Amino acid sequence: MKNILLFKTNIRTQEDKYALSILMESNEITQWTVDQQDVDCVLRIVSATLELQTVIQLLSDNGYQCEELT
Amino acid sequence: MRVRDVNKVELVKQKAIELLVKVGFEGFTMNKLAKSCKISVATLYIYYQDKDDLVLKIGMEEVQRMSDIMLEDFDPDSSFVDGLRQQWKNRAKCLLENPLSAQMMEQLRTSTYQQKILETFGKNFKEPLGRFLHNSIERGEIDPMPFETYWSVAFAPLYNLIRFHNEGQSMGGKPFVLNDEVLWKTFDLVANAFRK
Repeated sequence: MKNILLFKTNIRTQEDKYALSILMESNEITQWTVDQQDVDCVLRIVSATLELQTVIQLLSDNGYQCEELT
Repeated sequence: MRVRDVNKVELVKQKAIELLVKVGFEGFTMNKLAKSCKISVATLYIYYQDKDDLVLKIGMEEVQRMSDIMLEDFDPDSSFVDGLRQQWKNRAKCLLENPLSAQMMEQLRTSTYQQKILETFGKNFKEPLGRFLHNSIERGEIDPMPFETYWSVAFAPLYNLIRFHNEGQSMGGKPFVLNDEVLWKTFDLVANAFRK
């Protein structure tokens, strides 16, 4: 079963989203959306293999805030 | 394995409709919806990608459900008056029994989601209503007329009665409750207007 990973982020602007799309592509993450209408800019990733911590690390390393949405 | 909880999905749908009607699309947030459902925001994001996805999916499901009620027992090959009567019966039932959904439809029709909503309504109604009108003209029951003319004369009075009813008052604040007598008297006048 595919897992859905959810994160609070600060991907607020179109530029942020564009930068994120490049980051996702280069890490072969294909099924993702970010809700920029939401205060928590919720990043949603569907993946059978990715770990929460990997995504948090990836975004943090690239200067974004990212924590698990609970 | 986590399974989709049907009751929870239904609860989310009901609460989302209530919230949309209450605060509009601008004021609607996933946080507010999660609070009113007493579930976590994360749960909502498991079901839906984002706010747009949620509004569209729930909106389209409601459009489909309401379309089904409106077309129930409607035979496009019936006589003009019988077919129109069935349409009135279905539409009145649908709108009076689902006031919140009806209000949400109106909001959707005037929002950025308009195109998708109208497409779905069009897909469901175009064929049966078009055939019904075509048949009635072919049989010589009514004069040829543009579809828009037919629709406006056929349904605007009904929708207006329902609006008065939902607002609880008519012109000048006069209290109003729609009953069968008023509904069918109005229908007779509409049916007469089409008679050649």
